[in-house]
Amino acid sequence: MSKPTLVVGGGPAGLAAAQALASVGRDCILVDKADRLGGAPILSGYAKLVPSGEWAKDAIGGMVERVAANPRIDVRLNTTVSAFDGNPGAFRATLASGDQLDVGAAILCTGFTHFDSVNKPEWGFGTFPDVVTTTQVEQMISSGQGVRCPSDGRKPERVAILLCVGSRDRQIGREWCSKVCCTVSANLAMEIREELPDCHVYIYYMDIRTFGLYETKYYWRSQEEFKVKYIKARIAEVTSDGKRIIVKGEDTLVKRPITIPFDMVVHAIGMDPNVDNKQLAQVFGIDLESHGYIDRGNTYSASGHSSRPGVFVAGAATGPETIDDSIAQGSAAAIASLGYTAVAV
Amino acid sequence: MPIHEEHLIRPENLVTHEQLVIDGVDVSGHWSTFIESRVVTDYNEALQDEIAALPGGEQIHRCWQCGSCTNSCTVNAINPDFNPRYWIYLIRMGMESELLRDRDIIWQCVSCNKCTYACPRDVFPEGVMKATAHWLELKGHTPKSPSMHFDEEFAGQVFATGRIEEGRIIRGFFARTGQALMQDWLVEMVKRLLRHLPVKLIVTMGLANVLKPRTRGWGRARAAIEEYVHEREQVQRRALGLDALVKAAASELDQPARGAQP
Repeated sequence: MSKPTLVVGGGPAGLAAAQALASVGRDCILVDKADRLGGAPILSGYAKLVPSGEWAKDAIGGMVERVAANPRIDVRLNTTVSAFDGNPGAFRATLASGDQLDVGAAILCTGFTHFDSVNKPEWGFGTFPDVVTTTQVEQMISSGQGVRCPSDGRKPERVAILLCVGSRDRQIGREWCSKVCCTVSANLAMEIREELPDCHVYIYYMDIRTFGLYETKYYWRSQEEFKVKYIKARIAEVTSDGKRIIVKGEDTLVKRPITIPFDMVVHAIGMDPNVDNKQLAQVFGIDLESHGYIDRGNTYSASGHSSRPGVFVAGAATGPETIDDSIAQGSAAAIASLGYTAVAV
Repeated sequence: MPIHEEHLIRPENLVTHEQLVIDGVDVSGHWSTFIESRVVTDYNEALQDEIAALPGGEQIHRCWQCGSCTNSCTVNAINPDFNPRYWIYLIRMGMESELLRDRDIIWQCVSCNKCTYACPRDVFPEGVMKATAHWLELKGHTPKSPSMHFDEEFAGQVFATGRIEEGRIIRGFFARTGQALMQDWLVEMVKRLLRHLPVKLIVTMGLANVLKPRTRGWGRARAAIEEYVHEREQVQRRALGLDALVKAAASELDQPARGAQP
C-alpha cells in the first residue's frame, strides 16, 4: 500500500497533478479554498484559452469533470491546510475543517493572484468605469454579453490595451514579467476586432513578449489579419474629458507627447504571487524566492521540488506561468512525488 | 523674452503677436511669444486605409517598426531625412500633418527595392513609398511628378493607338513638363541617327510621326482598357474621399483631376 498525496489547489496544475497520480494508481486528496475546482480560468471566467482557442469552461471544465469523477481523487472544497508536520513519506496535514490526513507527500499548486489595478491609480482603474482589466474583458466575452463600455453599455469604437500593468514596475515592487499578458492581450484584441470590426484596437507596449510559437499566432496574426496597432509608449496617465477617456504618454517612435481619446482602456494585468504565499510558506515550512513566489529546488535533479523534501510545487505558484506549462508541471511534480509515497514491500 | 535652444522648436510653432494687450497690459512683441503644443491629440484611422487602397500600399498594416527598410535604403544613405520606417508609422497612426511636412522628399524613392528584400514582414516598403507619392499627388499636396507625366503620356499613346512612337512620346513629355524640344543631347542624338540608320527606317519613323498609325482592330481593346482604367481610378478616388472628383473625372477622362483638396 502507498500513502496518498496531498494536492493543494485545484487549478490547471493541481488538476493535472491529481489526474496524473490517479492514472498511476495512487490516491490523492485535492484541497481547494474555493467552492469549486478549476482555479483562475474558471473562477475568473476566462474566455478562449491560449493557444488552443478552446473556451476555458470546456477545456479546464473537462479537466475538472475527469478529476471529480475519479474515485482515487478525494476532493475537499472550501478548506485550507492549517498545519503540515512530519517527515517525507510520513506527513500529517491538518485542514481548517479539522480533518487530519496522513500523506506521503504534498504538491502545492496554489497559483497566483491577479494584480489589483487600483495599485496604479494614475491609470484610472476605479476612477473611470470604462477603464477595465483583461480579466473583465475575458468575462464580457465568455458571458456572451460582448465587449461593451461599462458606463453606458455602448460598443466601443476605439480601445486601448495597456501592457505591463502590475509587471516590470519597480515603483510598485513588481519587477517580473508576467509572461502571458502580451499574448493574452493580442488574443483579446483579435476577439474584439472579430466581434466589433469597426472598433480600432491599439496596444501600448514597452516590449512585446509573445514568446515562442505565439509570435505568428498572436503577434503577427493580430497585425496582419486583424490590423491591431502596436504603439511603443509607456502610458503616463489616464484621465477623462468628461466624455471619453484620455490616454496620455509619449509616443517614443515619433518622440512626441500624445493625448488620445478612447472609449475603453484595458489594463493587461499581471500575476502577483498568491496573497496567501507567506502563510503557505509558514504552514509548509518552505522558502519563498525574492519576488514572493514559492522557491523551487534544483531543477536538474528532479522537477517540482520546493525547498523542503517531500513538498513539491507546480504551476504559477512558482512564478508567472502559462496554463499549458502549469499542466505539464503538475504532471511532472506528480511523477517526482511518487518515490515519497511508495511504501517498501 | 529670449528662448533658449530655440533651434529645437519648429519655427511655425513659435507664435508672437506684434500688437497684443491682455487685461490692459501691453504684451506686444516678444512678451507675447508662446510655443504651440506639439502634442498628438488624435489618430486619423482613415489615412492607413487610404494608402492601403493604392497599389503597393496594401500591406502597410503589417509593419512593426523594425527599421530594416530605412537601414537598407539607398536614398537614406544620402539624405537622412528620407525615412520610410518613420513615414509608415505616421501613416499607420494617421499623423497626416507630420507626413505632409516631408511631401517634398517622399517622391525621391529610387525603387531599388533593397527594403523589399530586407523587410521581415513583407510590408513591401517600396510599394508603400510609391503609394504614398501617388496619394500626395491625388490629394493635391504635390504637383504631378515628371515620371507621372511620362507614364501618362506613354500610356495615353498606347491606349489611343495600340502602339508607341518614341519621337511623339518625347515631344509630348517635353511639352507636359515645359522643357524645350531643342536640347543639345537630343539634337546630337537625332543627327547621329540620321547619319547611321538605314534610310528606309528613317522614312518609316518619320511617317509614323505624321500618320499616327494604329494597331488594326484596336478599337475594342481600347474600349476595354479605358473602361478598366476608369474603374480603377474611380475606386481609388472613392477610397481617398475624392468623390466629387469622380464625377468631374467622368466628364473629362483625358484630363485627370488635379489639385483637389480633401
